[in-house]
Amino acid sequence: MSERREELLDELYNHTLNGEAEPVVALTHEALALGIPAVEVLFDGLIPALEEVGRLFEEGTYFVPEMIIAAKAMRAAMTILQPLIAQTGAKPLGVFVMGTVKGDIHDIGKDLCNIMLEGAGFKVIDIGVNVAPEAFANAIRTHHPDALGMSAFLTTTMPMFKVNIDYLTSLGLRDQTLIYVGGAPVTAEYAQKAGADGYAPNGSALVRDLKARLKITA
Amino acid sequence: MNPRERFHAVVNHREPDRVPIDWGRHVGSIHRNGYAKLAAYLGDPDLQNKDVILDRMVQNVVLDEKLLQRFHVDFRWLSPHWVGVREVPGQDAYIDMWGITWTYMLNAYSLTGSPLRNITTLAELERHPWPDPYNPAIFTGLRAIARHWHENSDYVVVADSIKGGLLTKALQIRGYEAFFADLALNQPFAEALLDKLLWLYKEMWTSYLKEVGPYVQLVYFTDDIGAQNSMMISPDTFRTLIKPRLKSLIDHIKGQADVKFMYHTDGSVVPVLGDFADMGVDILNPIQTSAMGMDTYMMKETYGDRLCFHGAVDVQQMLPFSTPAQVKYDVAKRIWDLGRGGGFILSSCHDVGEDVPPENVLAMFEAAREYGQYPLKLEGVLKPEHLRPVVPEPAAAAAEPQRARPRPRR
Repeated sequence: MSERREELLDELYNHTLNGEAEPVVALTHEALALGIPAVEVLFDGLIPALEEVGRLFEEGTYFVPEMIIAAKAMRAAMTILQPLIAQTGAKPLGVFVMGTVKGDIHDIGKDLCNIMLEGAGFKVIDIGVNVAPEAFANAIRTHHPDALGMSAFLTTTMPMFKVNIDYLTSLGLRDQTLIYVGGAPVTAEYAQKAGADGYAPNGSALVRDLKARLKITA
Repeated sequence: MNPRERFHAVVNHREPDRVPIDWGRHVGSIHRNGYAKLAAYLGDPDLQNKDVILDRMVQNVVLDEKLLQRFHVDFRWLSPHWVGVREVPGQDAYIDMWGITWTYMLNAYSLTGSPLRNITTLAELERHPWPDPYNPAIFTGLRAIARHWHENSDYVVVADSIKGGLLTKALQIRGYEAFFADLALNQPFAEALLDKLLWLYKEMWTSYLKEVGPYVQLVYFTDDIGAQNSMMISPDTFRTLIKPRLKSLIDHIKGQADVKFMYHTDGSVVPVLGDFADMGVDILNPIQTSAMGMDTYMMKETYGDRLCFHGAVDVQQMLPFSTPAQVKYDVAKRIWDLGRGGGFILSSCHDVGEDVPPENVLAMFEAAREYGQYPLKLEGVLKPEHLRPVVPEPAAAAAEPQRARPRPRR
C-alpha cells in the first residue's frame, strides 16, 4: 500500500495545486478506501499543497484566481474529511477568529488569509465584514481563539483597529488572544501603533508568524 | 504655453513650460468631508458645490471652478450621467444601471450585491437586464459643456469614464470570488461576460463621442487590474483575456475621434507596463506609488519613451500621513522621476480622502507649481540618491514564473 499511498497523495497534491476539485474529491475517496487515515490525507496531501500555493503566491507565480480555485478544491475534500477527523478527536492547530472592521466590507484579503490558515490546519471562525467592536468581543468570549485577525482595506477604516483594541482592553479581553491586523494600506509600523501583536502582508506570512508565536513546528 | 499646448507637448514626450496639473475627475477629486475641511481651512465659506456629488459611490464632489483656477488645473472634465439608478427601499442603498447594489457604510457606498453571482449558463447571462448603451440620457448636455470649454477656453477637455472598466465591471457584476474562479476554471463563461461588457462599452463610447468627440482631447477609461503587492490576475491571464479586448476598445475609441487614451489601474502592475503601451494606451494613471514595485524612476527609465504618466501623488500613505514639507519633497521627487523630458501630468492618484490634512492638499499644488517649471531645477531640492537613483530591475524581466515543487515526503 505504501507505494500506492505516496502516488495517491502526490496526485491529490498536484490536483489541489491546480484547483481541480473533481479529481481531488475522487482521490480523497480513493485514499480513504485504501485505508489512509483522514488526518494523513489532510496533513500529507492537502496541507502541503496549500502551503505550496501560498509560496507560489508570494513568489508571484500564482495570483488570486489560482488561490481561490485551490482553496475550493481543498474545501471540497474537507467536507469529506472533516467528519472523519472530528471522530478521531484530533484537534486543529489552533482557533483563529477573523473579521473585517466596522465601516469596511472588503473581504478578499480576509478570505485569502482564511484560505491559508485553513490550509495550514487552523480552525477559522469568520465573523464577516463590517464587524462592530462588540462582535469582536463576543467572538473572544464565545470561541476563546488563539488569535484574532482584523482586516481593513481603507485608510479611513484602519483607525478601527485601535478603537477595537482599546475596547477589548476596557473589557479585560485584550490579553486573552493574539491580535493581528492587516489589509492593503496597513504596515507593520501602523500595526504596532494600533496596539496589535502582529501584522502580515499576506496569508502565508500570517501562517508563518502565527505558527512561530504559538510554537508550532510542523 | 496654454493648457492645451502644454498637454500636446507632454503627450508627445516633449518638455512643456511646466508640469500640467489635474484634479477633479470621478476617481481623482476630494471626499465631501475633506472638501468641507479644505473650505474651512481656506477661509472660504463661499466655496461652491459642497453638496454636489460627482460620484455617489465614493462621495466626492464636483470641484468649484474657483478652486480649479486657484490650483492652476489644466483640465476640465465631462462626466456621463448615471441613469436607471433604483433606490433600495428602507436602506441607504442603491442599484446601479448594471444591477449592482451599493450600500452606505461609514462615509461612502460599498458593493453589497452582484446580480450575476448565482448564474451558471450563457443563456442566463444574456437574459440579464443590461443597460441600454444608446440611452441618450447618459450624455445629456455634455455636448454643450464640451463645446463651451473647447471654444471659450484653452483647457484640455476630457471625457471621463463611463464608470467601471472591463475586469472591474466583470468582478463587480459577477462577484469577485466567482469571477476569479471563472477566469481559472470556466473561461468560456468569463469570455462571454467580458465580450458582453466590451460590446456595451464600445456602443456607449460611440454614443458618447458622437456628442463630445470634436471637442475633447483625451478620454479616460477606469479599470483595475492591480492589487497592493501584485497584479490581481497573472500577466498571462491579462494578456490572454483582457489585453486583446482592451486593445480593441482603444482602437474603437480612437477610430471615433482624434483623442489620446488614458487608462486607469490602481495597484502594482509593473509586469504589464509594456503591454499597456502595446495596447495603445497613451497615458497611464494613477501610478500608485504605495503599491509594490511601482518605482517611478524605473518606470520612466524603462517605459518613458512609450508611455506618459498621470497622477503619482499617493493618497494611501503619503498625503494622509506626511507633513506639508514631506508632501512637497515627494511631489518634487515624482516630477523629477516622471517628468524629465515631459511625459508627466501631476495629480492626486485617487480621491483625496477626508483623512488628508488641508495643508497637505495645498502643499501638493504649491510644490507642483514651484518644482514643475522646465527646465527642471531640482538639484538643490532633492537628495543626491533621489537625483540619480539606482534603477531596480523591472520585475517583468527579473521574476521568472516559478514551477510548483513536488509534494514533500516524510
